[in-house]
Parts: sequence; structure tokens; C-alpha cells
Amino acid sequence: MLASTFPSYPLEQVALDELLGVIRAERALWAPHTGADGHCRLQPMGEGSLPRVAITAFLPLKKLLLPPREEIWSFRSGEYCTAQVPQAFAVVGVPLCDLQAVWYLDQAFADDLPYQARRAQALLVGMACVPGPECRCDGLSMPLAGDLFVDQERVWALSPAGQALLRACGCQVSQEMPLSWPVAVTGKRHALTQKQFFSTTEAAIWTDEAKRCLSCGACSAVCPTCYCFDMLDAAALDGSVTRHRIWDNCFFAEHGKVAGDYDFRPGRANRLRFRMEHKRFGFGALRGQNSCVGCGRCRKVCPVDIDLDQIAERLDGEGGS
Amino acid sequence: MNHALLPIPAVIDTIDRSVINNHIFTLRPEQSIELVPGQFVEISIPGVGSFPVSPCDLVREGLISSCIRRTGRVTEALYYLEEGDLIGMRGPFGNGFPLSMFTGQDALLIAGGLGMAPMRALLKALLDNGQTGRIILLYGSRQPETLLFRDELVSLAGHSRVDVRFSVDFAEILPGPCGDVLCRIGLVTELLADLDFNPRKTVSAVCGPPALYRCVLEELALMGLPPAKIFATLERRMRCGIGECCHCVAGGRYICKDGPVFSLEALRGMAEAI
Repeated sequence: MLASTFPSYPLEQVALDELLGVIRAERALWAPHTGADGHCRLQPMGEGSLPRVAITAFLPLKKLLLPPREEIWSFRSGEYCTAQVPQAFAVVGVPLCDLQAVWYLDQAFADDLPYQARRAQALLVGMACVPGPECRCDGLSMPLAGDLFVDQERVWALSPAGQALLRACGCQVSQEMPLSWPVAVTGKRHALTQKQFFSTTEAAIWTDEAKRCLSCGACSAVCPTCYCFDMLDAAALDGSVTRHRIWDNCFFAEHGKVAGDYDFRPGRANRLRFRMEHKRFGFGALRGQNSCVGCGRCRKVCPVDIDLDQIAERLDGEGGS
Repeated sequence: MNHALLPIPAVIDTIDRSVINNHIFTLRPEQSIELVPGQFVEISIPGVGSFPVSPCDLVREGLISSCIRRTGRVTEALYYLEEGDLIGMRGPFGNGFPLSMFTGQDALLIAGGLGMAPMRALLKALLDNGQTGRIILLYGSRQPETLLFRDELVSLAGHSRVDVRFSVDFAEILPGPCGDVLCRIGLVTELLADLDFNPRKTVSAVCGPPALYRCVLEELALMGLPPAKIFATLERRMRCGIGECCHCVAGGRYICKDGPVFSLEALRGMAEAI
């Protein structure tokens, strides 16, 4: 749902420490934490009070919802066994753009049992953020997932679970209000139509950008809505086997290969275009939904400064030619 | 929601080793899996990996047969297994051939190489239901020795409704007419040249390596077959089979879920599909 308003409570009604206590009693708690190396990571949160500001962690929530290496099944004594359901956990201090990304993953993995099992165990608490120069979020571009959102003045219940938590902490009278999306976002995402994109498949920009692109895949790895995966088996000495789902990457040379080594996306230009097609227009049932939430991670991480919005701008210019 | 990524145990029932490196593995999954020709299953070899494969026969008494080429790491491992060994299988995945479209029509089936395997399942379905008019099968292979299901196809050629023609890329000695079956040296598309058929009353299915699609699909359209009645089944390295992992995507569509069978009409709008 692209609900514009949610039940909201003034902060003075909400005892945040009590709320944190209720969450902590039932769940392992995760939060973004900036380490001595200057990088922000999602990591288990120790003692202490609720953070009040969201930070864009280097790796987004997919690190927990679609882990880099996740057991899918094991094979023991001739039987295939499902992986154990993970324990309940909560993530606090999530920026709104990342909650949009979770909505997108929820759609992409709607029929995926391991994902949904993990997702059902997650309580997500969004916080107001301080937008950086890379930020290009847009509250209207996509619905969002999550349970609670906290800014400097109010708390919103985004889900029935969030509502129940607030009620448990004594909050009674709510008011339907829009979320406070960051207002200081300066960067604008370039709108590009499918028609423009597909009429420029031969455009020189693809080969230009591909000359710089290192195919390192960092942009996909940090992207909150990139979800390519592969399967990998690990055999143990006792004869049991565990199949893992591991992150894959559409920039990697093997991604479009089929038996007999035929490759449907042989060059970096093909692969760059493939990724941009996914980001801008989605695949399968999500076709037509822009999946970029504007978090800016890809621009920050790219070692050669490739920016999909700049590509969009150039394609727009070349569209007619 | 079922766990579509979890295989069910399957026992290797028989292995037909008639054609080198193209053995036919018949598997018995613990629970039966229903498949339409053109749909596929993922076969898992625990500890090695999995691969997608389309059966080469209709499912009979719970048995699923696939002609599996020894071509990669996982299929290589399969060739070390024996009858009675336990592996895994999940599926069915994909859409399969639109069998109802062949009713009351003639069928022009074109297969190249290992593409004959899924084509054989379609051929059997069409013969079984008896609703299709004439069936023409054009089948190209590398050499006479690598023709799959050769004896069976030769004996089918005696069938009044079926017209079978082979082509091979090379042959030291031209096998000559194999029974009633014409065999030529050349490309499978060359068999189309002197073929007498009614394009307005024909539905076509094509299955083969990527190179085959690029030359044959549009040629069929030029011969007068409507693009909505020309079908191809695409090959990709599908990891999941359920439209998630993104390896098989072309033209924004998951080939494992929306396909793998597409009409030429659909393929024309799918960049990098063929």
C-alpha cells in the first residue's frame, strides 16, 4: 500500500525506553553502528537507549533478510530437511528509503518460503535520517514496509505489529498523519521511460560507461533492492550436505552463461545495461516498478563514479538520435 | 506456500547409455510430479549442485526420463552415479508447450541437437492425444551417430501421420535414407526448403541451441506462419526456477517462470532472448 498517512502519536506520549525494553525482551536487537574505521554497519546492539537518528549502513537490511550465505536445506541420511526458522529479531535506526527497499524485496520474494520465514521474524523500526549528498529518496516512488517510524516529534505505527507495541506501552489516542520524509534531499532521480531506455540499446553510452566499469559488482552488493542469488553446496565429513543460497551479481562474467559456455550477456556493456534495466523497470511481476530507492549507496561505493542517473540523463539526450 | 527450493528425493531407476555423453536417466521421485512437455524440473545432486532439465518423455507411472548431456560440473557428477542412487528433484517449473493450440492443426517440429529431447516429449503428447493433423519433424544433429532416439524416430516415420527428416552437419558416409527417413548433410533449416506444408494451418515448435533460433524462427514467419503460432523453448541456467534469482531474465521476463516456451510474437519484444 502506498498509504500516505499512518496512525501517529506525539513523542511525549511514548516512553521510548519502555518501548525498547518490550522489544528487547522478545527479540535480538540490531542497529547501525559507525565503527572506528568510519564505516557504518548493521550489528547487534548492546545495552543503551534507542538511537534517535537513522544511519545508512554500508550493507542494507538485505544483509539480515536475505543473508549473503543462507542455509536453504540440508541432506542427511537420504532426506532433505528444511532449514531452521531464524529467531525473532528487530532492527532499529533504519532510514525510510531502506523500508521502501524491504517492501520491494517482500514483493520479489512473495512466494519464497525461506525469505518469508525470516521476514516474519523481523520487526523494523525506521528513524528520521540526515540526508547526505548522495541521497535521492522519494516517498512517493514506492510503498514501504516496516513496523514503526520515529522522528524528533512523533512515532508512527506502520503495521498492526507496530500498533500493538505502542498500545502495550500505553499509547492510546492516535492521529492519522503523513510520515516526515527528509526535506533536505537535493539530488533528483532522472525519470526515464521504458521507451527511451529500449530505443537506446545501441547507444554509445553503454560502451563508454562499460570501458570504465570494472565489473566489480560493488553497486549490486550494496544495493538494498538487488537480490540475484546462486546456490552452493557444502559437504561435511559426516556425509551430510547443506545447500546455501548465496548472493550473486549480474556484473559477474558467469551470470548470463548457459551450458556449452554460450553467454547471453557477454560484455560489460550488456551487464551494465541489464542491471540498469532491473533497477529502473524491474523484472517479472514487478515490471514497471522503479526499484531504486535513492539511498545513494551505489554512487558512494563505485570506484569509477558510475551513476545510473547520469546515464539516464545521457540516454534521455540520445533517445531521439 | 510450499518450499519450492526444497527437492524431493528421487531414485535413479534406469540409465540408457545408447548415445555417448547423452544418456537417458529415468528417475522416480518419491512424490509424483506432473509435467506438460516443455516444462522442466531442477535435478539436485547433493554436494555438487543442481541443473534444470526438460524431460524427453511423458511422465509414466511416476517415472520422469531426461536425456542429459555430460556438459558441465553437475552433469559430470551425475554420470558417476548408478541405478538405485538417490538424488533430488523439484518442480514442475515453467509454462510448457501450449498443447491446445495444436488441436486441429498440423505440427511442424524443428529440433537441433539436444533440443530433440524436449521435442520428443511434445511429439509423444501430440501422438497420444490424436487431435493434431499431420506432424512433420525436422531434426538436425552433428553426425549420424549423435542422432538421439534414432531407431524410434525411424520407426515412427512409417506412421501415416508423421513425416520425419534428419540432417547432419557431417558424415563420412552419408547414411542414406534411414528407412523412410530422409537424411541430408547440411543445416536443419535447409530441410525447410523443399517442404510441402500449409503455413496457415500449421503450428510450429522449435527447440535447439541459440544459433538455431536466430535463423529458423523468422524464416518460418517469412514462410507464412503467424508469429503467434511459432514457439521456441529457451535454455538458461535457471538457479531457482521460480522467478527470483535473475539468471534467466531476458526482456524483463523470467524465462523460468513466464517461459521457457515463448511465441515468436513475444520473443520479438524481448531483447537478448535469442
